[in-house]
Amino acid sequence: MFTYILNRLGMMLVTLWAIVTLTFFLMHAVPGGPFVSERMLAPEIAAALNAKYGLNLPIWEQYLNYLGRILTFDLGPSFKYPGVSINSMIAAGLPVTLQTGLLAVICVVALGVPLGVIAALNRNRWPDTTVMFIATLGVAIPSYVIATVSIYVFALRLGWVPTFGLDDWRGYFLPVFALSGFWISFVSRLTRSSLLETLEQDYMVTARAKGLRKGQILFKHGLRNSLLPVVTVLGPVVANLITGSFVIEQIFALPGIGRQFVLSITNRDYTAIMGITIFYAAILMVMILIVDLLYVWLDPRIKLTKAAA
Amino acid sequence: MTDISPEMWAKVPAGEKAAPIPPPAPTYGQEVRRRLWANKPAVVSIVFIVLLVIAAFFGPYFSPHTYFKQDLKLANIPPFFETYAVTDGAGETTRFFLNASNFNLYEVDAEGNMLGLLRGGRKDMIKKSQPYEFGDQTLTLDYSKLPVRLLLEDGSEVRSSGWSWNRTYLFGTDQLGRDILVRQLYGAQISLTVAFVATLVNFFIGVFYGGIAGYMGGKVDAVMMRFVEIISTIPLTLYVVLLMVVFDSGLLSIIVAIGSVFWVDMARIVRGQILSLKSQDYVAAARTMGASPARILTRHLLPNSIGPIIVTLTMLIPSAIFIESFMSFIGLGVTPPLASWGSLTSEAVETLRAYPHQLFFPAAAISLTMFAFNFLGDGLRDALDPRVGR
Repeated sequence: MFTYILNRLGMMLVTLWAIVTLTFFLMHAVPGGPFVSERMLAPEIAAALNAKYGLNLPIWEQYLNYLGRILTFDLGPSFKYPGVSINSMIAAGLPVTLQTGLLAVICVVALGVPLGVIAALNRNRWPDTTVMFIATLGVAIPSYVIATVSIYVFALRLGWVPTFGLDDWRGYFLPVFALSGFWISFVSRLTRSSLLETLEQDYMVTARAKGLRKGQILFKHGLRNSLLPVVTVLGPVVANLITGSFVIEQIFALPGIGRQFVLSITNRDYTAIMGITIFYAAILMVMILIVDLLYVWLDPRIKLTKAAA
Repeated sequence: MTDISPEMWAKVPAGEKAAPIPPPAPTYGQEVRRRLWANKPAVVSIVFIVLLVIAAFFGPYFSPHTYFKQDLKLANIPPFFETYAVTDGAGETTRFFLNASNFNLYEVDAEGNMLGLLRGGRKDMIKKSQPYEFGDQTLTLDYSKLPVRLLLEDGSEVRSSGWSWNRTYLFGTDQLGRDILVRQLYGAQISLTVAFVATLVNFFIGVFYGGIAGYMGGKVDAVMMRFVEIISTIPLTLYVVLLMVVFDSGLLSIIVAIGSVFWVDMARIVRGQILSLKSQDYVAAARTMGASPARILTRHLLPNSIGPIIVTLTMLIPSAIFIESFMSFIGLGVTPPLASWGSLTSEAVETLRAYPHQLFFPAAAISLTMFAFNFLGDGLRDALDPRVGR
């Protein structure tokens, strides 16, 4: 177990290094420097700015400096907002993104799994067809369409929730709904097909033959085995919830990291784009690692050392 | 027919069965086609996609409007409206409708063709009203209280003469007075082009990469798959965003950005297929006959793994459409005045409060298209899977 985690952490570091390198050179391939704007800077000022941010050094030296700073968890200063560091930008946006993201993950598990179970237990009857119809809708409709249409219906027409912001607890409804809509549908479809497959297994027949109670059969033998594929997709779910938050935070004007990221793209704030990308990537990898460990805990059949090899 | 001997025509005695002639066994292709045609949602999806492609690529030629021509006088026209008619002393009748969100009157004819903006008299800023003269008749547009009212000289409200479709702009116009239908069709054209070309690029990279990794095996395979593993842990949407920042927005760069990133799944699937196929006897036979690896790969291995490849391909198209519209939505996609479903949606969101109909069309178009490709992908997967049926 311990060597497995070490191994995974090592892999993560290699991947992160690849990401840092890739983003660094990509951002330096952008034509024009970070201070190019409509207002022409005097050459002396431009030179002074370049010297201040270390942009006059040869590119490999800039790269090494950047790597060194990343190692101390310092993502550097913003080029567009003087005196603001990327770290403080992320620190300001993180609570909002985490709150909505966590609520969305909870929704995905708390709604997706039960809906899938209901559908599977009522196969080909009306609960099943209803759930599957809604799930098909949810998989096909992009999140920003769900977001905008639900703003129109629930905020503008019915006035039940505010159109933007999180000042009110009701403000969480629409962003979380729009973020999790796709994944609730996805998880309920997955749970349904996986549970249907499990219900056909021999050990289910055995459990029934032993005269176990229905609830025990379903939860202990059926659900625990059929939830394994669901747990595997949770890693990508977290990843997609985080990247999905770009648009959702933009639409609902939530001051989270996703909005920060979109803003820095429109502002061409290169250090911010780099910093937030690296931060996202790191978070995602940690999440995927956690999900993998959870997987092992749920399914004792999996041998970690074998998976690592 | 004359050379058939007469006894062949003789009647078979009762109780004796004629030798049954089995029909020719259907080929794999025929089986797949039969299963696919039996799947109703998939067939409807194919019809929808074909119609969409035809409409997107040929539709704009049949429209008098273009996707870039602006007419600010005719901005934000709805697709249908409630018409009013006023007859003056000389017997001249003017038909018009009221755009309740920008307080303008537009003249229309009896069929619903747009004739233009009606010019009113001086606005009374304090009473919030504006007079409109029709010959000797004067109408007052009173917008001091919502909803807006149209008053006759004696203070009674003008009665509407019914609802009418907009014949000039079938889907209405956007905030710059551009025809939404044509922009919609152009948007479909761009979204579909990006999706198809990017998917094709992904297909070639993925098949090439996965094919080589699977066929070579051993160390080459291990190194190549380790690389794929690293790529797949990187959040790919972020990379499309970064590439778009580097390339600058535009049609070509979004194709390159999407096309260069999403081949990982395809590579994995092709590799898996090739690994399981390459130990088959026919591959050994081909090798003994001196066929080159390239020939074995393209002539023997890839055609036999075509099923999963096609399914992955159909599933890639909707995700490419989605990523493109996502990019356009956050402002990294095609440059204006070009339109795509994503940019149309984000433009519509700006005017959502007053003109919700502008959101309806792009949102419906992209959702229906995603449906169609999803159903088609499901149908193809069921049809191509040789384990089912037979």
